[in-house]
Amino acid sequence: MQATLEKAGNAPAIAFPKLALVKDERALVGAHMITAFSALAIGALLGPFQAFHRAPGFVEAFPDAAIPVFSYYYQALTAHGTLNALFFTFIFISGFSYFMTGRSLQRKLWSLPLAWVGFVSMLLGLLAMLYVLLTDPQRSAVLYTFYPPLIAPPLFYIGLVLLVLGCWITAANVIVTANLWRKEHKGEALPLAVFAAVANHWMFIVSSVGVAVEVVALLLPASLGLITRTDPQLSRVLFWFFGHPLVYYWLVPAYISIYTLLPNQTGVKLFSDPLARVAFLMLMIFALPTGVHHLFADPGVSEVNKAIHTFFTLLVAIPSFMTAFNIGATLEAAGRARGGRGLFGWMATLQWNDPVVAAQLIGLILFMMGGFSGLIQASAQLNITVHNTSWVPGHFHQTVGGIVALTYIGIAYWLVPMIRGRALFSKKMALAQVYTWGLGMMLFGHTMAESGLNGVPRRSLTGISPFLNEAAKFWLNGAAVAGVILLISVILLLINLGATLIGAPRPVTDAPTIDTRAPERVPAILNRWGVWVGILVALTLIAWLPVIAEALSVTEGFQILRWLPSGVPVP
Amino acid sequence: MHINRYERAWLTAVAVTLGVFAAAMLVGLLAFGIRLPSPVARVDPNNLANTPFAKPGLKSLGGARYELYATAKMWQFDAGREAGPLGVPPQIRIPARSEVTFYVTSLDVNHGFYIEDHSINLEVVPGQIARATVTFMQPGEYKIICNHYCGAGHQVMYGTVIVE
Repeated sequence: MQATLEKAGNAPAIAFPKLALVKDERALVGAHMITAFSALAIGALLGPFQAFHRAPGFVEAFPDAAIPVFSYYYQALTAHGTLNALFFTFIFISGFSYFMTGRSLQRKLWSLPLAWVGFVSMLLGLLAMLYVLLTDPQRSAVLYTFYPPLIAPPLFYIGLVLLVLGCWITAANVIVTANLWRKEHKGEALPLAVFAAVANHWMFIVSSVGVAVEVVALLLPASLGLITRTDPQLSRVLFWFFGHPLVYYWLVPAYISIYTLLPNQTGVKLFSDPLARVAFLMLMIFALPTGVHHLFADPGVSEVNKAIHTFFTLLVAIPSFMTAFNIGATLEAAGRARGGRGLFGWMATLQWNDPVVAAQLIGLILFMMGGFSGLIQASAQLNITVHNTSWVPGHFHQTVGGIVALTYIGIAYWLVPMIRGRALFSKKMALAQVYTWGLGMMLFGHTMAESGLNGVPRRSLTGISPFLNEAAKFWLNGAAVAGVILLISVILLLINLGATLIGAPRPVTDAPTIDTRAPERVPAILNRWGVWVGILVALTLIAWLPVIAEALSVTEGFQILRWLPSGVPVP
Repeated sequence: MHINRYERAWLTAVAVTLGVFAAAMLVGLLAFGIRLPSPVARVDPNNLANTPFAKPGLKSLGGARYELYATAKMWQFDAGREAGPLGVPPQIRIPARSEVTFYVTSLDVNHGFYIEDHSINLEVVPGQIARATVTFMQPGEYKIICNHYCGAGHQVMYGTVIVE
């Protein structure tokens, strides 16, 4: 047993596989990366300007300043949310999933043409969204949660449908490819990266059913004028059926990097591979029955259902704590191997001067802060004090804007050069970008949280609000300072990636090693996908059927399409 | 499956911590009576004539107990007779130490109903009645803020509770 373990542990890990794979992969992954970062470029550049316009101090000093191109505040806010949180992340996740699947499994995708169909679908979705945001700013300003009765033009929803269609194709492609590999490798467990990707895509498929029904059956027909009635509470329920799994859909690819690439990048083995698998499975099965914690303040969901989802929310915190230990232990080994001594000395010897490693480490620090603010929000009663205040965007800029975005950027710092065949334009610039991002998000998260505790609403042009107290104004001005730091960071990122693409002079030299084997000691039950997807579906039905029944008010007779205000309101 | 003994200890600590969280929420509910909104009833926002929302405002229930019906629309709250003309945010005067049950609904899109320094923070969803009970102890002025995006004028939608 010991011998096989060692053999598996020393299994060849490769950087560059067969040429055919490389050529197909370069085009496919490259197309995804360039499109994803183009979406981020627009979305992220708008962010700081929103922080400026939310700050009373800025509005007083520059009363005539406008947000570039997306000049209507809520248009810019909608663009910031949709382009960053939906288009950038989803397109990146598809490209990265294809890359990791191909490299880890040493195998072609199940269907390359289908992968391209998915890509084109997402690209068209992005163009549709940009077109509608630019040509119809007032009506398309429904934000990235698009709650009715605000109804956007049809193209807004068509863009989202095309995006999700692309994600479904990616999910099918990754899952089928993994199944084919398992048939070809009887008795072997999937490499951890692909295991996590499969769990993530299964979760996405099940959860996106909610938002698909909402958009296709309720919102798009209302936008096209085919129906004149809707139910806002039902829409919110269907959205959050999807909305919480969405955050894990963002997070798991970052975890794939941190669990499977960071150990190699820091020169050690992952502390525990099986417990990593347990964590990914827990994220998958508990992601759905927790969504009602976003609806704690809703009038149409009963306290009993809120309590049930609170229970599962506490359970879904466990995989994050498991990650804290597993990654903490891994990094401690890495730091000690590099000469770190004492209780905390190992932290200092990690590669803080390597942009790819630093991006992930700083992402983890931000995630600790965001994780705690998340637990506070998810505590049913504390939620009352922070719900719909700036606290919430403060939280998610340290999570999706923190660990997720920063880890994706760290991945881009080696993946884009690899695809382009040229080394990163400037490591120093990358390092400066990573640290300004970390500092900016820490300050932004804190100032937003403080302003939220002082009553500042989220998603509001507060720079001209008449109801702010002095403390609220102070913290909003602080958030604008964070905006300046983040603006610098975004510009550094775009210059660096742009210059790398145009053609940095030096050839690419380094890329992380990617594990192509799992340790052979993976417990058999962890490979039984039928069981885990079955549990996921069962927990989802148990937790959500009562909530949906309430929203439909089954006892009063089904009335799905209740009403719409006379004349669809323009936001 | 082998689990390292430090990791076992860590997971135990995590389980205890989350258990404490759950217990704290139960204490909040049972000992302090902090409740979350739960379904009250549905209304047709296009037809509120025969509901208490037809005449929003503060009603005394006797003693220090009151109920207040309020409506929200783009971009104004209506809390009854003390509401000013259009564009002037309403002021609600409430004696100190009174317990007020708020009933809020929307006439058009989703709104929020948040009062500074008090445990009330409601999603105001058209078609639904949102309800919460608050006791106002300290005299002072507290802003009612719409904290759910409701369109172009969202940032100026507020009211004031004056506790006397």
